[in-house]
Amino acid sequence: MSAPAAAPALEVRGLTKHFGGVVAVDACSFEAPLGQVTGLIGPNGAGKSTAIDLISGFKLPDSGTVLFKGRPLEGLAPHVIARLGLIRTFQSPREWPGLTVLENVVMARWDAGRESFFGGLLGLRGEQRARAASELSKAREILGEFGLANLRNELAGNLSGGQKRLVEFARIRMAQPELVILDEPMGGVNPVLGERMALAIEAFIASGTSVIVVEHNLPFIERVTQHVIVMAQGSVIAEGPFETLRSNQDVVDAYLGEQVRQ
Amino acid sequence: MSAYLISVLTEGAIFGIMALGLNVIWGWSGDFDLAYYGYIAVGAYMTLVLTIGPAQAPAEYILGQQLPYPVAVVIAVVTTMAVGLVVGLIALRHLRGIYFSIVTLGAVYVMYVIAGQFVPLFDGYNGLSGLFDPMGDVFGLDYQSYQYFFLGLSLVMFVIVYAFMARVSSSRFGMALRTLREDERAAAAFGRDIYRLKLKGYVLGAALGGFAGALFAAYLTAFNPSAWSPVEVIVLYSAVLVGGRGNIRGVVLGVLIMGVLVQESTRFLPDLPGLGQLNTDHPQVLLAMRGAIIGLVLVLFLRFRPRGLLPERRFVDRQPAIDVAPRSA
Amino acid sequence: MSEALLTLGFGIITASILALSAVAFTLEYGVTNVANVSHGEILTIGAYAAYLVHQRTGSAIAAAIAAALAGGLAAVAMYWSLIGPFIRFGASPTVIFIATLGMSFVIQNTLVIFFGAANVAYTIDPGAPRYVGPFLVTALDEQIVASAIAITVVLFFIISRTKFGKALRAVSQNRELARVTGINATRVAAATYFLAGLIAGYAGFVLAESVGSFNPYFGFMFFLITLTAAVAGGLGKAVGTMVGAVIVGIILEALPALPVPFVGGYISASYNLAVAFAILAVVILVRPRGLFTNARRTVFE
Repeated sequence: MSAPAAAPALEVRGLTKHFGGVVAVDACSFEAPLGQVTGLIGPNGAGKSTAIDLISGFKLPDSGTVLFKGRPLEGLAPHVIARLGLIRTFQSPREWPGLTVLENVVMARWDAGRESFFGGLLGLRGEQRARAASELSKAREILGEFGLANLRNELAGNLSGGQKRLVEFARIRMAQPELVILDEPMGGVNPVLGERMALAIEAFIASGTSVIVVEHNLPFIERVTQHVIVMAQGSVIAEGPFETLRSNQDVVDAYLGEQVRQ
Repeated sequence: MSAYLISVLTEGAIFGIMALGLNVIWGWSGDFDLAYYGYIAVGAYMTLVLTIGPAQAPAEYILGQQLPYPVAVVIAVVTTMAVGLVVGLIALRHLRGIYFSIVTLGAVYVMYVIAGQFVPLFDGYNGLSGLFDPMGDVFGLDYQSYQYFFLGLSLVMFVIVYAFMARVSSSRFGMALRTLREDERAAAAFGRDIYRLKLKGYVLGAALGGFAGALFAAYLTAFNPSAWSPVEVIVLYSAVLVGGRGNIRGVVLGVLIMGVLVQESTRFLPDLPGLGQLNTDHPQVLLAMRGAIIGLVLVLFLRFRPRGLLPERRFVDRQPAIDVAPRSA
Repeated sequence: MSEALLTLGFGIITASILALSAVAFTLEYGVTNVANVSHGEILTIGAYAAYLVHQRTGSAIAAAIAAALAGGLAAVAMYWSLIGPFIRFGASPTVIFIATLGMSFVIQNTLVIFFGAANVAYTIDPGAPRYVGPFLVTALDEQIVASAIAITVVLFFIISRTKFGKALRAVSQNRELARVTGINATRVAAATYFLAGLIAGYAGFVLAESVGSFNPYFGFMFFLITLTAAVAGGLGKAVGTMVGAVIVGIILEALPALPVPFVGGYISASYNLAVAFAILAVVILVRPRGLFTNARRTVFE
């Protein structure tokens, strides 16, 4: 794996969010190193998903800042953040069910020119056609790598949960963001697919995408991450490589000693 | 060809354009817009005030120009797009589902009420009339031939709109709209500006509605509040739903079935005892029967066949593609 | 000052009818999470039933009872034939909304087939006007407001004190949870619809009386204003709905005072409707969960 570069992929500083009287995220701060897989773990209700929503623009933070490539992200709309190169997934697979698997992957890349109204209509220009064709073959290739080639004309909504997750991964490969945040990718997925997903994540890194993974499945975290951040009650309580956290008393307390003991 | 057949086909072509426009907003973007008939009305009214010349007292209405029909149509469509933009800006910003529908219902009723009550605009309940045989004098047509001419014109316009919609459907813009319908959050997570994209789709749909309205005005030669009602939009929705939501061929099929078949079949219903000749004595009852049937079909399809008769077309990739073994660590 | 009081007075009467209709709609929404677009038709059916019975018996009381019963039966029929099946089928709220819109269309047209589309005059001698405090009211007005208050009181008693009321509240808050605790959600919903229909049917009778005529479309028109009150008060919140109804009712009555051409009294497609919807649009955009909640609503939050 690549050595951590000087500037982190993502910097979160003092992120805070209240819902009514409840503090969901409380002065949360961490850094995700560039070119690595960073895990984000913690018991239920720790605020991990809310933190992801805040980082990716789906919720507005009350205070704090998020720096991506040196640029503050707070207040930006989700699609703007995505266009800057930060893509996230959701706790349940969010494929586009009425579109085919291939269409799902092709549409992962936002194309300003061809998605404007006139561009879409008059996309008869040679350059745009060539782009469309190369995109299509790239999508096929990616689907082949994920073992989804024979499902490419199937409606994505008809796939199993694990297959949908793979489609999501294929979309991420297609979009080639600089940072991808995976929100519980193993949720509801047959553990058999775990290795395939781990390989996919390694492929992300190899192609230049940094990864943050939120997960409850700790063996999976151990398998894929180089650096782990532990959240509890809205803020970061520990960070470091996975092995060091096992013996960290704060982490053990947070999890009530259940899962961390292997 | 009998005059009756000519009028049925002409109306069918115009409804076809209306349904194709509605398909953009509901079939592709996925928004249940109840303001749609308002755009048809704006298109019709604007075309009329731009072609029937200055108002003769006691009638009152704005503009009152006598422009050539094609020019009037273009201006009418642009106006309709502006109205659609205003409604869309408000309704699409934060609202989805029934809240969106309710706000658009409100918008169309505001339009309906203003058109009917605010006399200086379009002469209130009297409405506008007098658009006879637009472009007919250019070709020197008599009444009989003009009917054929207008039928031909409507059909040609329908074919053009259809071809255009086919292009949009398979274009990236069309696919982007559909991702919004399928899952907005995912679309945003992959870089789509939901608001802007929906607005574009909405204005496009409104434009087609206005265009159909312009043709409708020439077909009816007049337009007033009793010629339209916001609730008529249900007929269009039935057509789109029954045929196949999102599929333009399905929309055409739906128009044929709902707009033409149902319409015409009610003419041949047996006379109900005590009601006399349905066609002539009780045209309202006839209309009501048609309405009840259409509503019933809508509900039945929603329950048992929500995708409609023709499923949405999808891109089927015929080039060979093979699975590759996943790279190991 | 008396001008303002007069307006307030008329506003209260309109608001009373509106409140009845809106609270019934809110009951339906609360127990099934469905915005029943056919709600207006319950009023229309009530009006027709009242008229027919009144013609035969000459008794206003019989007419009122007939209206309520017809409304109750109509509402249950709506639940049993359409709303219930769609919910069990797992349809989304938007789809059911569309379905009830379709049903509304069917009912309106069916009424036209049987009764014709023309206005039916329905007049009852309103009685001589007299002063009640600062307001000039007729006996009819008094009946309307009094019955509205009485019905509201009984309704709140039912909801808060009876076993059925408890079940109703449980199902409204969490259908699944209610089922688990042994409540037959379907039966509760059907009974609630019947109750809502009784109120709405009666409201239809009262509305027809007070306006003086009705037709197959008049319930739908009134529904559009009812919707404003219900949404303004917060869909599903009975108290908020009542307050919303009062506010909307008063605003509507205040319209004649504005320098805007206005077709008085008759609930048709007049400016009343446009203003009601303008209010509705503003409320939804500013406070989509109603005037009495704190929720800010964006597409994602």
